[in-house]
Amino acid sequence: MTANARIWHLVLVLAACSTPLMIMYVFQVIESVAESDPGSLWPGELDFENWRFLWERIDTARPSIWVATFNTFLFACATAFLVTALSTTAGYALSRLNMPGRPYFLGGLIILHAFPTITLIIAIFIILQFLGLFDSLLGIILVKAALELPFGVWIMKGFYDTVPWEIEMAGVQDGASRVRVWWELVLPQVKPGLAALLIISFLSGWSEFVLPLVLAPGTSAQVLSTYMNAVIQDDTTADFGLFKAIGMFYSIPVIIIYLLFQKQLMNIYGGGTKG
Amino acid sequence: MTSRTLGIGFLTPALVAVFIFFFLPVMLTVVFAFTNMSTSTGITDGDYRIIGDRLRNLSDAGVSQASIDKLEAAGYQITEAGLAALAEQFGEDTADELRDDFLGQSYAKRRDLERVLRSLDDPIRKTRDRKAAADLFAVSIINTRFDTEEEFRAALTSTGIDAGDHDALTRFAYTGWGWTRDNFRLLLELPSTLRYAANTAFYVLCTLSFNILFGLFLAISTFYLPAKLANTFRAIWFLPRILPPVLYVLMWNWFTWDTGFISTVTGWFGVPQQNWMMQTTTRAWTVIILINGFVGASLGMILFSSAIKAIPTSMLYASEVDGANRWQQVRYIILPQLRWPILFMTAYQTLSLLTSFEYILLATDGGPGRATEVWALAAYHTALNNYGGNLQYGLGAAYALVLVVIGIAASALYLRLFNFRELLIKPRIEQ
Repeated sequence: MTANARIWHLVLVLAACSTPLMIMYVFQVIESVAESDPGSLWPGELDFENWRFLWERIDTARPSIWVATFNTFLFACATAFLVTALSTTAGYALSRLNMPGRPYFLGGLIILHAFPTITLIIAIFIILQFLGLFDSLLGIILVKAALELPFGVWIMKGFYDTVPWEIEMAGVQDGASRVRVWWELVLPQVKPGLAALLIISFLSGWSEFVLPLVLAPGTSAQVLSTYMNAVIQDDTTADFGLFKAIGMFYSIPVIIIYLLFQKQLMNIYGGGTKG
Repeated sequence: MTSRTLGIGFLTPALVAVFIFFFLPVMLTVVFAFTNMSTSTGITDGDYRIIGDRLRNLSDAGVSQASIDKLEAAGYQITEAGLAALAEQFGEDTADELRDDFLGQSYAKRRDLERVLRSLDDPIRKTRDRKAAADLFAVSIINTRFDTEEEFRAALTSTGIDAGDHDALTRFAYTGWGWTRDNFRLLLELPSTLRYAANTAFYVLCTLSFNILFGLFLAISTFYLPAKLANTFRAIWFLPRILPPVLYVLMWNWFTWDTGFISTVTGWFGVPQQNWMMQTTTRAWTVIILINGFVGASLGMILFSSAIKAIPTSMLYASEVDGANRWQQVRYIILPQLRWPILFMTAYQTLSLLTSFEYILLATDGGPGRATEVWALAAYHTALNNYGGNLQYGLGAAYALVLVVIGIAASALYLRLFNFRELLIKPRIEQ
């Protein structure tokens, strides 16, 4: 709208509200490499001692951070691919295919989408023990993928809904099967949706904390979130420099994705999904 | 291939996943809520065992005093099994002699049997050895493990327990889980239930208001800023949403703990170092609400911003031409347009705040004391993680069931709120 001379008022208030967050961000970065003395906030000398977890074990009972990093990567990628693959087909079926019970599936999708899945964790904990998947990476991958699925199907259905019917009709008219039409004509149209879903579910898997904490508490399937939490819980001296360095390391992929896709991410979340 | 089979084929993988990890858990939450499952009962079948230390509880379980006495006094009998064990430890000769003269005899007291052992031609001389030898012939079923109910009942019969007490004893001895309604009775009786419910209501109400009001403020104020400045602020406020929770809460810990930012800054003015998160209940709540509020407000900001962008600019220009000031513009043009996004936000956030405990678990873990323990966290603590070590899955499931029921009811309600018809536009390729 028209520029307003009194806009600096607004900027001032906004800046004041944002100060705590800004302080947290700035010190998160600075203190990971240059810790300040107790009682002071001025950064000390440049010191990479806090990053020692990269080349040595900070605690003999703990696996190396590279194991946890590999696990996290595997966990996030596997869930992202699973969610995207299943959502791509299910979303298409719900958006475009005339099949029996479609209204019920759609209604069920909305209910599932709104339903708070975390309440099911006690039952899932026991189910995984029955299935013998407790405390394994495969177990939490399956659970995470299944719990993300309603969100994924919802997003993909939205993208399929925007593809013009004419494209499909033309394909069918020319004698192609529905599968081929889907694969060769429709799928290229929803590529942005696939990319968005891949990125979002990767981020969600990368940040996931409660599922690994409850369903894979051992050290063999430890991911970075539980690794970092364990370091913080076990440390008696509150070595914030170390925690922050681990946090920096942990959040590198998140920051990169955030810097590259900030606009797209905001658009997806702005589309009325709970995320 | 018809679109019908294709549709079912395309949907099946997703349906299987949804079945195993949604429907099954919902059903099982109901089932588990009516059991006394815990770490000590295990989740599979248990066995039958009367533990010696628990004998005094037997009369409470409805077992007659006569049977209890009998169980305790169950005597000693010379059996082949006992003889085999005796032969192994004290030699074949002793066993053979005992078999020849005393097989089938029973003794009420150990002392009687010990006397027999001493009187043998080849006696067991040491008192301690005689005691150990006598124990080999004990027929008492206390502390003995039986894998099936039949075995246990057979043992009761052979001990001579009154048949009327068998059922009560079997129930008492079963170490596995069983059906019960006690979880719900306990929920109604415990004073902590009300406490958790009140905590939850307080938490949801405060956080939700903060989310919506502050999200509105962020969205509207950034709307009036020049694009560059607005994007900077949006970027700052979007970050909490996508940062991993563990790291986000760590930053808050650093900000509020006794060696952290607030403590350091106030320390310059002579305030003693203290934990600004956990020291008092008020502080704990404030921090919890801010931690969750910042994340929620960023979602609000994004949602409301995109809704404001959708308002036709001609409307806003027209209002300015008509002489409306900023405040009137917000009040009469922007806010009415935000009605649906606000309703949506309220609906989703109520449900997710009600049930999520991630940030509270990371920040205060319900403390100080149980001051910030909300319902969902209580379920987690009861069933999945507590200091006592005996995880009560059944009671935890009862806690969770309350949330599951609320969740299903609310989601079904949202189905009505949303524009469901629009979703049902018929596929157009056939017909």
